[in-house]
Amino acid sequence: MSAPEGGTLGLAGQDEKLLACVHCGFCLPVCPTYRVLGDEADSPRGRLHLMRAVAEGRLPPEDPSFHIHLDRCLGCRACEPVCPAGVPYGELLEHAREEVSRIRPSGVLTRLLLVAFGNRWWNRFVGTKGRILRATGLPAWWGSLYAGSHHGRPGGVGDAVRLGMAMLAASAPWPGLKGSAVPVADPESPDGSLDDSTQVGSSVEGLGRVGILKGCVQQGLFGRVGLATRRTLAANGYQVVEVEDVGCCGALHAHAGRLDEARGRARRQIGAFRRAGVEWVAVDAAGCGAAMKGYGALLAGDPEWADAAAEFSASVRDVSELLSMAGPRPGARVELRAAYDPPCHLLHGQGVSEPVHDLFRAVPGLTVVPVPDGGRCCGGAGIYGLTQGELGGEITREKIRCIHDTGADVVLSGNPGCMMQIGGGLLRAGIDMGVVHPVELLDESYRRAGLYGK
Amino acid sequence: MTRPAAGGDQHPLEPRMAKRLAEVVGSAGVVTEPGRLLAYESDALTRFRRSPRAVILPRTTEEAARVVRLLVEEGIPLTPRGAGTGLSGGGVAVPGGVLVGTSRMDRILTLDPGRRLARVQAGVVNSDLTVAAEPHGLHYAPDPSSQAACTLGGNVGENAGGPHCLKYGVTTRYVTGVTVVTGSGEVVELGGDGRCESLDLVGLFVGSEGRLGLATEIELRLVPRARGVRTLLAVFSSTEVAGAAVSDIIAAGLLPAAMEIMDQGTIQAVEASIFAAGYPTDAGAVLVVEFDGTEAGLDAEAEAAEALCREAGATQLRRARTEAERQALWQGRKKAFGAFGRITPDLIVQDATVPRSALPGVLARITEIGRRHRLRVANVFHAGDGNLHPKILFDRRDPELVERVEAASREMMQACVEAGGTITGEHGVGLDKRDYMHLVHGPQELEVMRAIQGVFDPAGVWNPGKMLPPAPDGADSQDTPGARGKGADGAEAKGEAGGEPDAKVGVEAHGGADENTRWEPSSVQEVSRLLAYTSRTGTPVRIVGRDGDPNSGARLRLVASGLPGEVDHAPEDLTVTVGAGCPIESLQDRLAASGQWLPLDVPCSRGWRVGELVARGEWGPLAPAYGRVRDLLLGAELVAGDGRVLQLGGRVMKNVAGLDLVRAVAGSRGRWGAVTSATFRLMPMPRAHAVLAWEGDRDAMRDLAGRLAVHPVLPASLVRVVAQPRETDSAGDGAGGTSVRDRVLVRLLGSSPTVDAEARELGTDFPGATVWTSQPRGPGFLDDDPVTQAVEGEAGEGQGGKLDHEEGVLLELRCGTMNGATLEGKLARLLPSGRPWIHLPLAGVWRVSLGEREVDAVDPVSLAGLAAELRNQGGDLCALRGRVPGLGRPEGPLDLLERRVCAVFDPAGVLDTAPILRGGAGSDAGPRSSPEAK
Ligand SMILES: Cc1cc2nc3c(=O)[nH]c(=O)nc-3n(C[C@H](O)[C@H](O)[C@H](O)COP(=O)(O)OP(=O)(O)OC[C@H]3O[C@@H](n4cnc5c(N)ncnc54)[C@H](O)[C@@H]3O)c2cc1C
Ligand code: SF4
Ligand code: SF4
Repeated sequence: MSAPEGGTLGLAGQDEKLLACVHCGFCLPVCPTYRVLGDEADSPRGRLHLMRAVAEGRLPPEDPSFHIHLDRCLGCRACEPVCPAGVPYGELLEHAREEVSRIRPSGVLTRLLLVAFGNRWWNRFVGTKGRILRATGLPAWWGSLYAGSHHGRPGGVGDAVRLGMAMLAASAPWPGLKGSAVPVADPESPDGSLDDSTQVGSSVEGLGRVGILKGCVQQGLFGRVGLATRRTLAANGYQVVEVEDVGCCGALHAHAGRLDEARGRARRQIGAFRRAGVEWVAVDAAGCGAAMKGYGALLAGDPEWADAAAEFSASVRDVSELLSMAGPRPGARVELRAAYDPPCHLLHGQGVSEPVHDLFRAVPGLTVVPVPDGGRCCGGAGIYGLTQGELGGEITREKIRCIHDTGADVVLSGNPGCMMQIGGGLLRAGIDMGVVHPVELLDESYRRAGLYGK
Repeated sequence: MTRPAAGGDQHPLEPRMAKRLAEVVGSAGVVTEPGRLLAYESDALTRFRRSPRAVILPRTTEEAARVVRLLVEEGIPLTPRGAGTGLSGGGVAVPGGVLVGTSRMDRILTLDPGRRLARVQAGVVNSDLTVAAEPHGLHYAPDPSSQAACTLGGNVGENAGGPHCLKYGVTTRYVTGVTVVTGSGEVVELGGDGRCESLDLVGLFVGSEGRLGLATEIELRLVPRARGVRTLLAVFSSTEVAGAAVSDIIAAGLLPAAMEIMDQGTIQAVEASIFAAGYPTDAGAVLVVEFDGTEAGLDAEAEAAEALCREAGATQLRRARTEAERQALWQGRKKAFGAFGRITPDLIVQDATVPRSALPGVLARITEIGRRHRLRVANVFHAGDGNLHPKILFDRRDPELVERVEAASREMMQACVEAGGTITGEHGVGLDKRDYMHLVHGPQELEVMRAIQGVFDPAGVWNPGKMLPPAPDGADSQDTPGARGKGADGAEAKGEAGGEPDAKVGVEAHGGADENTRWEPSSVQEVSRLLAYTSRTGTPVRIVGRDGDPNSGARLRLVASGLPGEVDHAPEDLTVTVGAGCPIESLQDRLAASGQWLPLDVPCSRGWRVGELVARGEWGPLAPAYGRVRDLLLGAELVAGDGRVLQLGGRVMKNVAGLDLVRAVAGSRGRWGAVTSATFRLMPMPRAHAVLAWEGDRDAMRDLAGRLAVHPVLPASLVRVVAQPRETDSAGDGAGGTSVRDRVLVRLLGSSPTVDAEARELGTDFPGATVWTSQPRGPGFLDDDPVTQAVEGEAGEGQGGKLDHEEGVLLELRCGTMNGATLEGKLARLLPSGRPWIHLPLAGVWRVSLGEREVDAVDPVSLAGLAAELRNQGGDLCALRGRVPGLGRPEGPLDLLERRVCAVFDPAGVLDTAPILRGGAGSDAGPRSSPEAK
């Protein structure tokens, strides 16, 4: 395998970034895997040290230790904002995983998932099937098997399937949000068309043209979130324009170390949004947002695309950032006590925190309680729960305990992966608590305020 | 830096051994894969690298002890590891060694807001304790910049400091007890708040860098969060000017919580990082000053400091207006080390402390050294403490550069030592500074440290090769772990170091060495000669502070009061070095002339000399706020029991170069030898002084004291005087008689606005107080304050005057888990009628003075019964002064440990000490024939 055009291969050439680590250890206590395992090889500093040893040729990249500890990394990037040396951990992790993927092909499960989410048609197929399956109620039943008990071998296949089912069940909209007032039409019409009178393409105050990433999971199981994003942005004066759906943003591939594929997807996305002529790229899945803000770095070595990628990344915003820039305008009361659990890829990956609270402030009646140790990953890092069942389970259980302690009615999280992980975890713990995306909440508040004209 | 990884000689742990260890700690607790072990090859000082043979991660004390026993059996050396944020190589494996990590011992075991105590497992992260204490309005005061990551066990290992240690003191002040797994795998409990003080083994352990054993649990003191804070930033053209401003602030008698200086190189690194604090990047230096405490006085203090900065030449002044702004200022400072990561591949952080007044000179020399070696040097320092952290930027891939860095480092250390400083103020010696130890310690002092290490760890399994340079004969060299096995023998062999052939002559000149002889040497040399003689000839001798010391008696005694008492006061450094013969009052006189004082109020200590003050280590009601003798002592000269003249500690505010012998010399009570001089840290004399007093019945006063103890106003002293009716006073029986009233007294010290505001607040929250105020102008301002009068007056009542405990007894009680009211009920039944006692709620201590005749009136069996009961419940009862038969406790492993430590100083076992302490308590055992006697 030769270095692809514009790309790098593995850890070679990452010396300067690796050298920036001064070994101070500030990243240890924020790392969920270190907190659970207590092994420095499962800490950010330890992982960086192993990467450096590989880069220096002191550790062969084939060494199982190198793989095991990288595999255990959630990629939550909690280690980045605390790092005084500014070590770009997330970026280095992707390079290290690329190094690993050269030696060891991805596992079957990983490949399956990458196919499922990476291919637009497959994605749609899986999404539809998933929704149909979800509608049967089977996943909820299956996923809650052994709820709250210690039956079932953690980390086993049965456990993985139960987890998957619980997550699927958890992707459903929370009935509590709509109250009983207005019946809602299927909020996830597969074609993604609007189910209300909000006009696309019109803008009152002219805050700019926005294109929304459709993404993969987001479209399949969380179509309602995408719609809420459109409506709330439009209601705040953005001109929402259609962008060609080119599928996955490549985040999953990058996390798996398949940087070439990720670069290909990045180029495709950049092209699509460029053609649509937007000023802003709105993302309502924190994981995708973080990845797209990283296109600049991903394509930095590609002379043809570097500038375009940097420019593109500069225009990417989490939906909450755009809403915050516009105010956002207040809606009607939604009496709720909600626990906010910031997604890692929003808080650590993008450093976005205040804008989400601006959004909450636009919803009268909403009481937001922080989740203790809120910056800690929920364990839902992509397919982590499936590949690292036992460890992921422990991390999730801890998160669920913290969430439960808040005594809130509902959990707010701005990333579909986290919503499923937390929802699944709650279901499995036998806790009756909904999971809602912040824009869904604002959307509901606007609906009640009659902003959508109904 | 070029000392390479000796990785080659680290053959992995045998699978058989790994399996046995896994049976103890579970398989997740045993790391043996070579690749995985690479993650542990260094701490935050990356130039020393060595992969351990294995890492073992126990979860409890019990597991740790079993692990240690298994490994010790095989002769495998061990190194404790916390978070690996150490900056001296302390937490790196030794050749052939394994690491015992505390990362899975991360539980806070108990947190008692009433007693302001926490008990934690050693792996708890420093700032996690503060987070847990916050809801109770408390925090853990020592705040190393690494506090978000480093463990409390690691803090104990290094005796860590931090920016706010200027006002609050370093780790050792806050550690009240440690559970230790020693070198034989034995578990010992050192100290503990519920126990009467004995030889300060906790003080010895803190800062021992993993050489005395593994701390598995730690008992720590918490302090109330200051209610107000002012943080200001002053910008200067150079570090020298900033340093001058710091001196001015100290000279003005202000006491900031922290004073930190960063130079231009550091400012630029910080501003380029994500923790940019808004320091102006073109400034020569910035100074961050913080005041905390009661709101009322803070603005005045901050304004005064600002004015001084302006006068000193500050080009810009800024005050943090919000907590967020304050945090930003501090984040910049606390993340400064890491911020260099993005501008240099490698970095050396030096750590040295000099007397504050020497700072400008030393800074200039450091700049010059850097320039001469063509190196980039940046500086960041705890200016208030004189603790410097020069940082040298380099690239280890350039060997020639590395050489220059090493040369420069050494020269910098030398410059600091020449300026009266020490080689490390907080980062420890580890591997990094081991070869510099001889710059600050003589061969005798090093030998003493090695011998004490041998007491805790006879087989030399704990972190061999760290901190202490190898003995000249090669023992304790890091290549021969397990070479030592003979306890304190090393010291015994050298027992006559201070002896001279003509020692006998000295003895004759002093009147011989018979029983009843009284020696009164007038110089350190004489003391040394006399003790060398007694040691060599096996003649029992007792060291007493002055004639009339209740410890005299009919035996050969060495009276220390004739020793020189010259006072060497450095007001600009807030330190004083004083000879043992100086009366405390004269010392305070001298200090008061410069507006400073030694904040100690040991009850009934008039006439004591400084030597006695140190040797007794006692404390009074001021201690919870100002510290005990041990906390104020920076250094001491000690003539050991065998005549060796030892220089312990130094003259600097922070000093972690080697084992801390200074804490334990305070309260060594003549068991180590004669203290011949002492260096203390001082405080500016407070500007205002008030005492509030309440009177009421027993229950009301007990309740009031309890509420005052948790009130956010932190008083200088809090005392409850419990009166007892005389038989003739009331017809009724004992406690709660109506004719006597208990009292609660609060003493406030500080600036006028602070004291006024605090007095007003307490007066409002707890009505009915009588208020007494004074302006502490001269020395002895506490002598006639109502608190002193209460404490000493009560002691003297029934004696027709103040009790000096010449014949009487001072009892101290600690309740442990027993209810305080229950304890007092029992006490009331035990004591003669009319005998009051005092309760010091902030220290958790009760004290009763008994006159000679009263002692006889106490039923010794009941007293011993109460002592036993208290000890069963984690409390204690002891005679602090004088003696009561029957109060001794059964011998425990601790007594043996204490005796062996004492034997390091007194190998012949001739020092005949007052038997007030554990083990010896109550029985006048006389001299020991052999230090190892059980
Ligand atoms: C960015 C940065 C800033 C720092 N700032 C400061 C500062 O302001 N002040 C300061 O004092 N230090 C500072 N340090 C140094 C370091 O953080 C402290 O020395 C800290 O106390 C080390 O704690 P640790 O848990 O990382 O211990 P480690 O580094 O793992 O170990 C330190 C030493 O203690 C021993 N040890 C560890 N645990 C135990 C135990 N349970 N029982 C017995 N011995 C044990 C080890 O053997 C070793 O000798 C800083 C370090 C960094 C990287
Ligand atoms: S990304 Fe998350 S799991 Fe991975 S090292 Fe950083 S903090 Fe730990
Ligand atoms: S915080 Fe940054 S510099 Fe410090 S150890 Fe972690 S990655 Fe390295």
